[in-house]
Amino acid sequence: MRRLRGAQGLAPWGLFFAAFGIFPLVYALALSFLAYNPLRPDLVRWVGLDNYIRALQSPSFWHALRTTVIFVVGTLPVTLTLAYTVSGLLASVRRGAGFFRAAIFFPATLSMVVIALVFKSLYAEEGLLNGWLGAMGLSRVHWLQDPALALPSIMLMDIWASVGYYAILILAARKTLPEEQFEAARLEGLTRLQIERRIVLPHVRPVLLFVVLLNTIRSFQIFIEVFVLTRGGPLESTLTLVYHLYERAFYHFEMGYASALAYLLLLVVGAILLVQRRFLGGDPMEARAR
Amino acid sequence: MAAVALLLGIALGSGCAKSSSKNVIVFWQFSPLAAIQPVLDRYEAAHPGVHVRVEQLTWQSGREKIVAAIAAGRPPDLCELGSTFLPGLVADSTLIDLTDSTANLRSDLVGWDVSSYKGRVYGIPWMLGTRALFVNDNLVNEAKMDAGAPILTWDDLRAKVQAISERCPGARGFGMNAGEREILFKKFMPFAWGNGGNILDSAMTRSVMGSPQNIEALQFYLSLKPYSLLDRQEMHEQAFIKGRLGVVISGPWLIRKLAQEAPKLVYSVQLMPQPAKNRGTHASFAGAEVLGIFRGSKKKDAALDLARFLVKPENTMPVYIATGNAFPASVSVGTDTYWDRFPQDARFLDQLKTAVGPPLHPKWVQIEEIVNGELEEAIYGKKTAEQALHSADQRIDAVLASP
Repeated sequence: MRRLRGAQGLAPWGLFFAAFGIFPLVYALALSFLAYNPLRPDLVRWVGLDNYIRALQSPSFWHALRTTVIFVVGTLPVTLTLAYTVSGLLASVRRGAGFFRAAIFFPATLSMVVIALVFKSLYAEEGLLNGWLGAMGLSRVHWLQDPALALPSIMLMDIWASVGYYAILILAARKTLPEEQFEAARLEGLTRLQIERRIVLPHVRPVLLFVVLLNTIRSFQIFIEVFVLTRGGPLESTLTLVYHLYERAFYHFEMGYASALAYLLLLVVGAILLVQRRFLGGDPMEARAR
Repeated sequence: MAAVALLLGIALGSGCAKSSSKNVIVFWQFSPLAAIQPVLDRYEAAHPGVHVRVEQLTWQSGREKIVAAIAAGRPPDLCELGSTFLPGLVADSTLIDLTDSTANLRSDLVGWDVSSYKGRVYGIPWMLGTRALFVNDNLVNEAKMDAGAPILTWDDLRAKVQAISERCPGARGFGMNAGEREILFKKFMPFAWGNGGNILDSAMTRSVMGSPQNIEALQFYLSLKPYSLLDRQEMHEQAFIKGRLGVVISGPWLIRKLAQEAPKLVYSVQLMPQPAKNRGTHASFAGAEVLGIFRGSKKKDAALDLARFLVKPENTMPVYIATGNAFPASVSVGTDTYWDRFPQDARFLDQLKTAVGPPLHPKWVQIEEIVNGELEEAIYGKKTAEQALHSADQRIDAVLASP
């Protein structure tokens, strides 16, 4: 009886997941073996692994993958370090803690489109950032127009947008440490740094792993930021894998090829997550169980 | 993951345009509903029992929505289509041939070349857009140049943008698009077209991007770079509104923005410059909004009737007055008294006479991507004008030769 009730409770979610999770996955897998132009569904044909082979032989695919990996590698350590540091600062705040937590978490409540539009104005040649630089007697920076700076500029925005969310997650894990443990450590004569290293860090490690996995998946899927800010330019310096996929699907109407790109992305992300788990150790699910 | 399928699935779910009644015509278009609804109300009043179910598309996601609806076999009955999107639809035989059914409209409208391929018509010209020069006359005066003398030639343009850049502190002379590859050809090709250049030969079988006319035009365009603000179009327009940009290439929408946000700015709208006195033309980019009927439309005759109604001058002028974006394709609107009251807007009508549209070629998406990519390489100094355009030549020819 209890099992039946449990199944009933899960049914709405299960149906939703089947419709919007499982079905698109299976459908995209099927599409990846077809040459399918949505404008000419009558001309659809089976091409087997051709789409995958074509992608692996395409310089654009490798360029987009490289750009995406640079984005992930560039943002992940900085985001993690900042989130951990901010969580420590938030934990030590005594007065106005609620305000600071809300302020830090605020970017997570905003749509990425809104954030990107705000940063587009900030990064403009005539924007606020260049205004400040000008006021300090420094020359303008071509934030989104310089191929060397466009991707770092997007990375900076992404870090700003995601640090707060991860900081609150880590803070929640910190808060589960009993105060007595800190007092005992202080009585033992441990410095603040030693407490962080020996007590706090091991305690929040599963959450940190969870943050690493979550951020890796999210970063590999970067699209909105590129769509709003640079459309893959200048000189394809911000052409990420998902944006490349979008262009193939909706500008060139190559749905089969785009689906193959999506599955290659899945394989890449899956492999990286396995490696991360192996080297970082721990089970992120432990964090949720605590 | 599986973003394509999900996007497609969501779009299919939301974008299906199934008529629930025999007398409903489904019409997708890009203008605000407040602008188009009064026109449709008049149509419904003249056609009792007919209801037009209108939906506004956005330029950001309209293409995806149309593609998804066609893929689902449930496209709208009538659809507004941009001229750069049209070639792909024609290539895939998605639109019905309107050559014979619109023969009697031929002399009433302009812009047929943008909606025709190999002599066949696939869309009815509805609204036409073009770009012209916006010149900040205050900055021209401040740069000790004669604001009363219009920019007629390439040399005039370079002299003024250079003077503004060098003599007006905090201002740049010209707005050169950067960081938005997708519109570069629209900004450069007017100079090439004005110089007698083109993208494809007249038979549309070979690239002529590397022609001496195009190379000369690109060399001139690149010579403006030292005096330019390199940024996206909307940032150029913001800089112009703030009085910090001397010359920008833009469309009629900027006139309304300026009236609202910088009513005291003294500026003029001028034709795009020709290469030299008595040489070339004042060419600009021409974009057309055409009305197309899909093969999958359930009510082709009714859609055609609605399209014929929409392109009448008394129905297109109110849309222009309400939106200020693109001009009626109807020939007779040129005599409307509206233009006497708004001479800046009228300047665009003059510009339209020498504007050129992109070729309606089935492989235009690939060609456009190559042109924009090579132009970007030249603007960023990765290639010279010759290298970029010769490379474009080779790549476009390869695309044209592919099956």
